[in-house]
Amino acid sequence: MTELAAECDVLVIGAGAAGLSAAYEAAADGNRVVVIDANARPGGQYHRRGVKDPPYFPAGTTDAQRWANIATYMGWQAYAADLDGDLVVVRLRGDERHRNDLHAVSTRVLVVATGAVDRQLAIPGWQRPGVMAGGGAQSLIKGSGVLPGRRTLVTGTGPFLLAVTAAIVQAGGEVAAVIEANQPRRLIRHAAQLMPTGLMKSGEALKFAAILARHRIPYLTGHRVTEIHGAEDDAAVASAVVHRVDEQWRPIEGSARTFEVDCVTLGFGFTAQLDLLMQLDCEAVQSADGGLAVCVDDNQMTSVPRVLAAGETTGVGGVDLAAVEGRIAGIQACHLLRTDGQRTQPDSKVMTGLYRRRGHLRRFAKALALSFPTPTAWVAEQTGDTMVCRCEEVSLTTVLEARDDLGATDARAIKLLTRAGMGWCQGRMCSYTVEGLCPGPTSVASQKAAANRPIGVPIPLGAVAKQGRA
Amino acid sequence: MSDPLCTVVIDGRPVQVSPGMSVAAAMMSTGLRAWRTTRHGQAPRGLFCGIGACFDCLVMLNGEPNVRACLVTVEPGDAITTQGGATND
Repeated sequence: MTELAAECDVLVIGAGAAGLSAAYEAAADGNRVVVIDANARPGGQYHRRGVKDPPYFPAGTTDAQRWANIATYMGWQAYAADLDGDLVVVRLRGDERHRNDLHAVSTRVLVVATGAVDRQLAIPGWQRPGVMAGGGAQSLIKGSGVLPGRRTLVTGTGPFLLAVTAAIVQAGGEVAAVIEANQPRRLIRHAAQLMPTGLMKSGEALKFAAILARHRIPYLTGHRVTEIHGAEDDAAVASAVVHRVDEQWRPIEGSARTFEVDCVTLGFGFTAQLDLLMQLDCEAVQSADGGLAVCVDDNQMTSVPRVLAAGETTGVGGVDLAAVEGRIAGIQACHLLRTDGQRTQPDSKVMTGLYRRRGHLRRFAKALALSFPTPTAWVAEQTGDTMVCRCEEVSLTTVLEARDDLGATDARAIKLLTRAGMGWCQGRMCSYTVEGLCPGPTSVASQKAAANRPIGVPIPLGAVAKQGRA
Repeated sequence: MSDPLCTVVIDGRPVQVSPGMSVAAAMMSTGLRAWRTTRHGQAPRGLFCGIGACFDCLVMLNGEPNVRACLVTVEPGDAITTQGGATND
């Protein structure tokens, strides 16, 4: 692995649209910029393969000379961050082939652009082989050219279902149906907020509509997958049951239909990856989609000095918003690094344009989130052996007993009593389900506690021992 | 992917896969759907989140257990071993 810098001016975590845009702008003054990403290739989840040929440069960042000055280290996962005087120290672990390699980088400015993962909800059978996160299926296709199954049921909510469907059929796969739990006609209620971005996105919507029509894929709205079954002698997916649902996603009796499929994708929006920002104790809020988002000011600064955030970490909004936020964060990083005498205000015309574009895209994202909500009350009404926590194999019955018989009122108490959220994934897959099972509305404090993982990735004891000797 | 194929060994069987693929994708391209069993229920698991967050796709890679198959790109000669007796499709 390439020798990594121990210090830099701007450290960017995440080489997706937000991180790369931030790095590009941050390098403008000749700052030493380092970009870190856990994946093998830059581009993030959206541009899984776009970096090979031609290189993926986010919009407005085309100066190749400047790119040459940015050090990008792939295959390093940031697992902890803390403040050290005027510096921020970020701790990194090597990739899956180099898990014993630990490294620390001290930076004057940190930009966190760690993106998001598919948000999940526990459904009977969701632990079966052949069930995948929608984003996971898409990255399998885009990144490796492999289909998730022969015949797939695409389920969940939001326009992303259509992107997953398109990826599958364009790779030669079959989609049995798209199962959208909400009614997209709710978009009408938010028509004003959707503009002007909606107008630009309408082309994309038409493209998806054409794909559904050409491949004769049913698009069932107000329907939800309610059970996923295996074959008699095989746990892997063989069929899925779909029900018509009410506005709260409760199945309507008598509306069941079964699809013979070997793959089911699930996607209920996205959860921002906030580990580093929560470790640094940045302020956070609940965003329109019900998920946690870090608070940022007009220039993408968090509540912690010299720590900036961009992209999905500030509220899930997609690749275009991520790129704009990244550019603003990078420009602000430059501004922070200029000494007082040299400090000039960033080009106000450029900034006005970026702010306006960000405003439009944020409004659009909020309207989408409100049009495709993810209610959770129905989760508790499912069969008791539904697996809530995949890692520790904790059933719905066990969680409900902790709540109703043992008096657990929040996710932390449920975790301590049942081990839900205590396994390999540290609650990344089950926390939205567990929060939904807790009495009352989910508090920001509870969400912050769930997202605060002191160590973001397993560190082998051998590596810790090696560091101790060094 | 137009690159020439490379050979990896999955559970002792040589398999031709595209370089640049993830280990998880390489296994799925051979029809494998699951490659480890869980601690309590001995239930089969394979690829779920696909981007390194869920740890369901853990596999033995060149003798190292618990490697996230979705995050590693195959290298020629890799020995990939299913963990704890997995089920085949």
